[in-house]
Amino acid sequence: MGVHVVGLSHHTTPLPIRERVTLDGPELHEALHALHGAGAAEVVIFSTCNRTEIYARDDADDAAAGAAHAFLRARGGLSEEDAGRFVYTRSDDAAARHLFRVVSGIDSLVLGEPQIQGQVRSAYESAASQNGRERTAGPILSRLFETALSVGGRVRAETRLGAGAASVPSAAVALARKIFGSLQGRSTVIVGAGEMGELTLQCLLDEGVSGVVVANRTAQRAENLVARLGGEAATFERLPELLRTASIVACATAAPHHVISADMVARAFREGRKEPMLLLDIALPRDVEPGAGSIDGVFLYDVDDLQQVVDSTLAQRRGEIDRADAIIGHGVSEFMTWYRGRSVVPVIQALRGHAEQLRQAELERALRSAHLDPQTAAAVDVLTKQLLNKILHAPTTRLREAAKDGREGEVAEAARYLFGLDEMGGQD
Amino acid sequence: MVTILHGVALLGYLAAGVLQTVSFAGERAEVPRGGVLLIGGAALVQLGALVAFGARFGELPLVGLGPSLSTLAFLIALFLLFATIASDARPVGLVLLPVIVALLAAALLIGVRPSGEPLAFSGAWFSFHVVLAFVGVAGFAFAFAAGLLYLLQFRELKSKRFGRIFRFFPALNTLDRLGRSSAVVGFCALTAGLALGWAWTIRFRGTFAMGDPQVIWGALTWVVFAGVLGARIGGAGSNRRAALVSVWGFALVVLAYVVLRLAQAGGAAFL
Repeated sequence: MGVHVVGLSHHTTPLPIRERVTLDGPELHEALHALHGAGAAEVVIFSTCNRTEIYARDDADDAAAGAAHAFLRARGGLSEEDAGRFVYTRSDDAAARHLFRVVSGIDSLVLGEPQIQGQVRSAYESAASQNGRERTAGPILSRLFETALSVGGRVRAETRLGAGAASVPSAAVALARKIFGSLQGRSTVIVGAGEMGELTLQCLLDEGVSGVVVANRTAQRAENLVARLGGEAATFERLPELLRTASIVACATAAPHHVISADMVARAFREGRKEPMLLLDIALPRDVEPGAGSIDGVFLYDVDDLQQVVDSTLAQRRGEIDRADAIIGHGVSEFMTWYRGRSVVPVIQALRGHAEQLRQAELERALRSAHLDPQTAAAVDVLTKQLLNKILHAPTTRLREAAKDGREGEVAEAARYLFGLDEMGGQD
Repeated sequence: MVTILHGVALLGYLAAGVLQTVSFAGERAEVPRGGVLLIGGAALVQLGALVAFGARFGELPLVGLGPSLSTLAFLIALFLLFATIASDARPVGLVLLPVIVALLAAALLIGVRPSGEPLAFSGAWFSFHVVLAFVGVAGFAFAFAAGLLYLLQFRELKSKRFGRIFRFFPALNTLDRLGRSSAVVGFCALTAGLALGWAWTIRFRGTFAMGDPQVIWGALTWVVFAGVLGARIGGAGSNRRAALVSVWGFALVVLAYVVLRLAQAGGAAFL
């Protein structure tokens, strides 16, 4: 009986297997309902390119964890040995801690990545919304995920786990912001229409750059990129003219030689350019002649420099893990207190129900034999109720305290035995 | 009351300075918002102190070294407060808060009380003259701080070091804009202040009084200030040149003040 997480992630499993296991759209909903019918009282599935994890709760045994494990093994086509190597299972407070670390970005491929919270929220909402079928997230997993999202929010607000630029394109944006401040309206030239150029352009467009020109050796590829992201296409012949006006020039071609020479940049300044120029050379081999960086007013960074920004950010984020873990520990303790407290509720209900039944029966018998007037009968009713409450107060309190201390199992068992609750037909 | 309020304001500026330094040393990306509130609170208390000075002594705190230093510190704090509210310029406090604390501490040590020196030039025009000159100097101090941060950030960016300066200091463009704005405001105020002083001198004394250390210092400050603005004219390197001139120019003005002040012992009316 408990809450479990069964999954595989980039820490344990190679990409080809993760790809086979990934769930999305209708497949995700099918899997939720399949597991719900196979022993899991509640299920939430969180699946991205880096991890697929099944959060499940079972009532009586570890049926949910077993079903989730079997599901992942079958979906990934894993041998028993591979499943043992790749698939991990954690239960109760370890499961809660795992989820809270995932939501906070501590467990991510890029430490502190900001997208993870939205992805977890979306996974939870998929299980909590009905969509014409029974929802698979019940009260316990709902509480677990809501607490996780709240803990993730606190980690983001109270630590610097998400601060700084953690990818090469975002490092390019961070450098541009350190030179120009706001990038709103800054003219930009992207030299080369490949994947890295596109990613960098997308990041810059998100910051509000405008007047974008995509220059490529062949106009067709530039036009394709411009059709997707906007701007103007150009060929390399226009580069000298573009260097006179563009604030940011990002180069990411596959050319084997320099596309922008130091002389070309110097000429742009000689011909009247006054504003500083940010030259981002994210190509290998490099596109910009290194000498361009020594020109006053030119800030030239290559891919190693950008990686240095990323490394510095990640080092700073790693320094925040202890603070984040302290917040997570508090969240886990809060959730487990609630969860264990919930597990004794059925025992308390059974105990009170049993006692109330006895009281009602004895009261009826006494009233039948004693022929009391209504006023006296009411007084006896109140008296027995108060007596019962006083007698049950201590066991109820002890049960709740035991739940807080993590001893709910043994104390609940003792209560069932002492009060003969199981003999009454298991009213919980 | 005047001294107590000045002491409280000093503690406020000191706390804001410590907060900025701790944020910078702790490799934070910015100063917490509490830092702005501390500067605002300290400036408010100091305003109360200056008002209390006026109420108690029946004059504006513009004459005598103690009151003058306090007023100058207050004006610099106002520049800093306005800039931090209007832009992401909080780290400029790393340079300006120590300046404010030093000025206020010096004012408290000397004593914030009137000099008792009878002045020929007094009244409303004198007040305008001094306040405008002080605004000019405060603007110059701000341009100096922005210029210093600009040069440090420029060096970090050029040498591809992405440490605490890179993270904590504002963008080059922001620092340049702050330096330019404060220099323009300060230069206009100083020009108006000096013009008032000279107009009075010519009108009532029939001379430029060019031998007066105050006049020498005022003229030197104006020339250096003009140089700061002049350095902005030109091509791609003009921003860095302006920052350099702001830093060295301010240092020269402060040095000149100390030398002239020592040469004119007992001149309580001179800032």
